[in-house]
Amino acid sequence: MDNKNISVNNHARKMLAQNVAFTTFRILSGVIVTILFIILAFIIIKGASVLNWDFITTPPTDGMKGGGIWPAIVGTFYLMVGSALFAFPLGIMSGIYMNEYASHGKIVKFIRMMTNNLAGIPSIVFGLFGMSLFVNFFGFGDSILAGSLTLGLLALPLVIRTTEEALKAIPNSFREGSLALGATKLQTIWHVILPMGMPNIITGLILALGRVSGETAPILFTCAAYFLPQLPESVFDQCMALPYHLYVLATSGTDMDKQIPIAYGTALVLVIIILFVNLLANALRNYFQNKLKTN
Amino acid sequence: MSKIEAQHVDFHYGSFHALKDINMSIKEHEVVAFIGPSGCGKSTFLRLFNRMNDLIPDTRLDGQITIDGQNIYDRSVNVDELRKNVGMVFQRPNPFPKSIYENVAYGLRVNGIKDEAFIAEMVEESLRGAALWDEVKDKLKKSAYALSGGQQQRLCIARAMAVSPSVLLMDEPASALDPISTAKVEELIHEIKKDYTIIIVTHNMQQATRVSDKTAFFYLGQLIEYDNTNKIFTNPSKEETQNYITGRFG
Amino acid sequence: MVKFVDEELVKIRKEILDMWTLVYDQMRNVCEAIPTSEKEKAWDVLIREKRVNASELKLDCDVEDFLVLYNPVAIDLRFALAMLKINTDLERIGDFAENIARFIIKQDGKHIDPELLKRIRLQEMVDGVLDMLVTSRLALEKEDISMANSLFEKDNLLDEINAAATDVLAEYAKEHPDKVAFCIDFKGVFLRLERTGDHITNLAEEIVFYIDAEVLKHSSDKTKMQMAIASRMKEGQN
Repeated sequence: MDNKNISVNNHARKMLAQNVAFTTFRILSGVIVTILFIILAFIIIKGASVLNWDFITTPPTDGMKGGGIWPAIVGTFYLMVGSALFAFPLGIMSGIYMNEYASHGKIVKFIRMMTNNLAGIPSIVFGLFGMSLFVNFFGFGDSILAGSLTLGLLALPLVIRTTEEALKAIPNSFREGSLALGATKLQTIWHVILPMGMPNIITGLILALGRVSGETAPILFTCAAYFLPQLPESVFDQCMALPYHLYVLATSGTDMDKQIPIAYGTALVLVIIILFVNLLANALRNYFQNKLKTN
Repeated sequence: MSKIEAQHVDFHYGSFHALKDINMSIKEHEVVAFIGPSGCGKSTFLRLFNRMNDLIPDTRLDGQITIDGQNIYDRSVNVDELRKNVGMVFQRPNPFPKSIYENVAYGLRVNGIKDEAFIAEMVEESLRGAALWDEVKDKLKKSAYALSGGQQQRLCIARAMAVSPSVLLMDEPASALDPISTAKVEELIHEIKKDYTIIIVTHNMQQATRVSDKTAFFYLGQLIEYDNTNKIFTNPSKEETQNYITGRFG
Repeated sequence: MVKFVDEELVKIRKEILDMWTLVYDQMRNVCEAIPTSEKEKAWDVLIREKRVNASELKLDCDVEDFLVLYNPVAIDLRFALAMLKINTDLERIGDFAENIARFIIKQDGKHIDPELLKRIRLQEMVDGVLDMLVTSRLALEKEDISMANSLFEKDNLLDEINAAATDVLAEYAKEHPDKVAFCIDFKGVFLRLERTGDHITNLAEEIVFYIDAEVLKHSSDKTKMQMAIASRMKEGQN
């Protein structure tokens, strides 16, 4: 009888503890979501007033007191594409090498440690490094090329990491299954492993793109133009970029009353672009996964 | 002459002595079952025959394994060619995320065969050989994942058969399958044994008795007993074997 | 798994040993009743034969269950198979006891000529059979192969007495023409006792198969002879 009572009490206490814990978790997640919504709402409310077709498609005028942000959008796009061209092949290949070819050696452990450290370096340091290497040493000058390479460097650890993780998640039995049929390692990677890892790799790539599109510091010294109404014509030209434009408007404007709304508009466009990129990541991931299942 | 011959095989994972002085000879078109408790080395031994253990770093093999008289660990041996000749079926069905057709065609394609007509012929022949053709002939372009677990496993067997191996290694091929699928796989083994030399690792004693001609019992990295299956299961010569197969273990 | 399989094996073993005792009692009782044609004892044997049959059915079922439920292999499988066959042999021996009981009842209380009994070596035959039954049971109980092997030699004695019994009875029938029918029936008793000996050698074969997995059945007489010699030499040493 006593035993039974004890177990009943114990059960009640456990239930209470569980309820308290779950309620706490629920409230905390609610708070986080609320904060996110407040930020979004703030930017939308402040920025929506200037957001219209002209704002997106025309260059700034009147010393950035009027007009739109078209060159900054284009510049950001160029920088994203440029850094992707540099970081994706390099990062994916390194990831493949590290997971498929040399996943046990000491060298790989070292490389992995270094990429992790690279990911932790503040972006302004990348900016400085990019300036001294690409702008000055290679003589690219302040240019889309230098900016893209610097941003690519920033994205590289992220790409390597996601590729590695994506490949690691594929069960070994698929590699063995392919090798057991007389396929070479390269054939196995190309025909089996990469297609299977693609959904996760692509997601990682696009998230890296999102990260790149929002960075200011790395392009500060390597590429970004303070004010450049015309579009860049070659990779050696400077360009404007959304985050930097936002920074300039907010910190060194000459007419705050006119420029602050433009800054919010810029922020809104940037947020929308990043949001869109993330949605695209999800959509592509789903697409590739379905393709794997049904093809 | 024996098809497969293992002489004084020792195998180390790092400092772990996984296989100890194993000698075994397997005749052509024989089905040999490897039994033994987990970690006894039977899978490790199986994976030596197609050099699957090469993938594991820090391992060492001593002794000699020959297939058709050729030392398969000789420098001159092309591992990819060896694996074409020594097919393997794994514990869990592992079809590639491709269509049923492409799964079977995979082995041919990676081996450089481009002739689509020939590939189609081989795909059909292999699927028929694996007793799967009638079930999948109308959905060859469908994903292999649309098949049931048992069908997937038979697809994997067909996939292995497509590259015309002479030896088939099966690592617990039915352990993830329901009894009916298991029965089909076993029936398949019975049917294809006339064309292949088959080595099957199994934890299921009844499976060993049903499908194999000979049974090898491994314990702690040693080959304790290797004899005709009916001899092993009616009158094993070693005490350890008897204890293991009657469930009086350890 | 170990423990309850062993429990099952112990159960079957106990059942078969009990049946052995039962059949032994039947045989002893019926043989004791022969010289004086004790009808009552014979009736007892007839009645208890039903118990032998019931035991046989029960054992059949139990061994069948064991085979189905535990899928025994190796020594367990041999044990189950041996028990099945031993069961059948014991039941047959029980049947012989029943046949002899019917012979006794047919005699209707008439004592058998003691002189004939002596000439025909009935007691020797009966002792031989009972001794073999005891020895075979012990061989299983102690899992003693040499004990089981010794039975083949003992069976030879029964064959010999049985063969001689034909002449003795033929002579006796000549001397007592009124007892020809009795002689023919009495010969039947010897035949049954001799057959009992054969079944006991079957039991011995099954015991050896169970313990050693050696198939003695239908092996040439030569091997049996060699074994008999070997066991005799062993006895000599002892």
